[in-house]
Amino acid sequence: MTIIKAVKTPAATPPLSETSVIGWIQKNLFSSVLNGLLTIATLFIVYTAVKGFSVWGLVDAVWVADNRRECFSINPDGACWAGIFAWVDNIFYGRYPREELWRINLGIFSLFIWMIPLWLPGVKAKISIGLTTVFLYPFLAGYLFSGGDKGIFMQVMLTAAIVCLAGNTIHATIGVFTGRSLPEFLSSLFGKKNVNEKSRRNIFLGVLALSFVLIYVWQMSWNLEGVSWTKWGGLFLTLVVSGIGIASALPGGIILALGRRSNLTAARVLSTSFIELFRSVPLITVLFMATTMFPLFMPEGFVLNKLVQVIIAVCLFNACYVAETVRGGLQTIPKGQFEGAHTLGLGYWQTMGLIIMPQALKQMIPNIVGNFISLLKDTTLVSIIGLFDVLTMLRSIGKDRTWLGLHIEPLVFGAVLFFLICFAMSKYSRHLEEKLSTGHNN
Amino acid sequence: MALSDSSKKSVHIKPDEQFDFFHDERVRSIFYQFLIVAAVGCFIWFLSGNTARNLEARGMHTGFGFLKVAAGFDSSFKLISNEPGVGTYGRIFIIGALNTIYISVLAIILSTMLGFFIGVLRLSNNWLVAKVALAYVEIFRNTPVLIQIVFWYIGVFSLLPRIRNSIDLSGGAELLLLNNRGLYVPWPIPGDQLWLTGAAIIIAVIAIVILRRWAQNRQDRTGQIFPTFISSAALLIFLPGIVYFMTGMPLDWDIPKIEGLNFVGGATLPPSFMALLFSLTIYHASYTAEMVRAGVLSVDKGQSEAARSLGLRKRRAMSLVIIPQAMPAIIPPLISNWMSTIKNSSLAIAIGYPDLVSLFMQTSLNQAGYAVELVGMTMAFYMVVSLAISWLLNIYNKRVQLVER
Repeated sequence: MTIIKAVKTPAATPPLSETSVIGWIQKNLFSSVLNGLLTIATLFIVYTAVKGFSVWGLVDAVWVADNRRECFSINPDGACWAGIFAWVDNIFYGRYPREELWRINLGIFSLFIWMIPLWLPGVKAKISIGLTTVFLYPFLAGYLFSGGDKGIFMQVMLTAAIVCLAGNTIHATIGVFTGRSLPEFLSSLFGKKNVNEKSRRNIFLGVLALSFVLIYVWQMSWNLEGVSWTKWGGLFLTLVVSGIGIASALPGGIILALGRRSNLTAARVLSTSFIELFRSVPLITVLFMATTMFPLFMPEGFVLNKLVQVIIAVCLFNACYVAETVRGGLQTIPKGQFEGAHTLGLGYWQTMGLIIMPQALKQMIPNIVGNFISLLKDTTLVSIIGLFDVLTMLRSIGKDRTWLGLHIEPLVFGAVLFFLICFAMSKYSRHLEEKLSTGHNN
Repeated sequence: MALSDSSKKSVHIKPDEQFDFFHDERVRSIFYQFLIVAAVGCFIWFLSGNTARNLEARGMHTGFGFLKVAAGFDSSFKLISNEPGVGTYGRIFIIGALNTIYISVLAIILSTMLGFFIGVLRLSNNWLVAKVALAYVEIFRNTPVLIQIVFWYIGVFSLLPRIRNSIDLSGGAELLLLNNRGLYVPWPIPGDQLWLTGAAIIIAVIAIVILRRWAQNRQDRTGQIFPTFISSAALLIFLPGIVYFMTGMPLDWDIPKIEGLNFVGGATLPPSFMALLFSLTIYHASYTAEMVRAGVLSVDKGQSEAARSLGLRKRRAMSLVIIPQAMPAIIPPLISNWMSTIKNSSLAIAIGYPDLVSLFMQTSLNQAGYAVELVGMTMAFYMVVSLAISWLLNIYNKRVQLVER
């Protein structure tokens, strides 16, 4: 016997936990007695912590005061953020001359301008933009930050950097609005719509050369006052050290990782021992080594300043960590890729550069960003060997006469500052990982 | 084209004539290796030549003879006795190394325990608990450990009340006293026959191992489950306990007492020690928690479903099926986290806990010179520790791999 229904059975209503708020709470917070107790206990802990912190940091806090005594007389139980406000320039810029701060701001602003095209859709040649950032931006920033006399080499590089920055920006603007590249736009500007690749390139190079000459002449009149590295400090110094560390750790790490996986015994042994040497010791010992031993390594009369010593140490140290990340990424590439590249007749560097590295780097992004985050955090160690980085500045607030004893607030401020930077970086890396994944890993 | 040329040639060339000195892979490999070694050798020769010249120009002495010279300073915290002005630099090295190991081992144990706890919370199906654990992990992982260390030191342990108003952590028994000079704890004074209790503990452990083997065998044969956990706990508590009481409780405690302006007796853990221990524990626990979570999640969902369908309860499924499979994924990163705990303990220098780096690389270096030797010895210590740990890790990895296949 068969039963045939003429009317369609209505769909069962979804379970309460999927639709209503109460259902969700019941499922996720009070699914059992134990769970309910746990929820209540956790709520209590969270409430106490958040309340304690917000009362101290917000409700009872003193925002405007001239010194710590005044803070105390207004409200002795709250945080004294007024001290942070008074020191905010020191925290961010250290002892950099106050009338020259625009140079740091301009330097950081130009880095953003330089990098923005990398994020914009429709911009072509992002790789060359990225490469110019790594190779030319340091000269622009270096001149802005330290100033002083510039030699011929510095003038050339500075001009190149400015031309590049302007070119990048125009290129990106054109790219966003018209979807074309700068050379295409230039040739159409001169009324040549359908020209071949070669003459388009010639026009492009001609315009570049012309602007190079113009800017070179223009920059000759610039005269920035020299600022000694001893005046650098605060978050600015932390970012300089970690920025140089990041920019050089990646290429250094790639070379070391390739050396470690090389068929050449000498290269393998040397890179392996180098990597293991630096990975097995704490960064602080490497920094001490840099400050005590580098002066001994140098030929007579050749003096490295402490900042350069520290930067070299940080670069070497982080290159080794990045090398291990890169090696991990290289190991995930199946052997068939190497063999396929070999079959196509590609040599070692072509195989690595065109086939292996692009695949491996994509997989390594979260780990590399993780390396960069720990590099940024580790940069606070330079305060131990006497550079005026952000932590030194934060700790010296409490030694300042007007703010004597103000210790906790600066450290909380510093912790929040680092948290924001590092958390944003890790979130962005996860986003990048999702965006770049082609869906056929594994 | 080179490609087509060589393919044409290869048709009628005898194999032994294919050796082309300039294009042979082996020759090139040797040549490149020679180049690399020569370049690195030249660089090292250049550096060591400069170093020798600089040392001579500055009149600095070299050699390890200074290790037998008396050091003019003392360590504020030490596990072995030392007399300033008599104790040598060699002794200072040992004190520093012991201090480093002491705090690292404690921090490793505590951070692993806390990390597993947070990791389990992170996996909880209670939404709020999981989110709070996530907040813990994100907050402490994304803040420099140095800032955390300094915060605990300046912001917590230095602001504690004075000795007169010590906080009593043992609830009125005056055993654990916390004040701005540190944590005062009772210190055990072993009696004559204490070794018997120690021996009893060892015997109990051996008995537990045998008991577990036997219980496992019996369960395999008959299917009956023996309550191993309760019986092992009973063995571990009662056997040494009975021996301890029978030998007349041969363990005294040296309890800290206020005498004048300071405490006498017991052991003192200075604020710098406490701050370092707290911050290292909390910081590294946040990493451990993520490793535990990733390890448990790496076990295929089908495993827990299969265990449930075999009728295993949730807890037994966890301990018999999930955890054993998650461990191989957790242990290697966990051990490298231990390694970085040891390395981060060198940040003690920022708050004045006398660890190896602070005693040897800073104080001794300022007092005695001998930069190359001091830096070399300190780095060698960390390298030896790290090599030993990675050796253990390799052994573990090999064992796990064998089990897998």
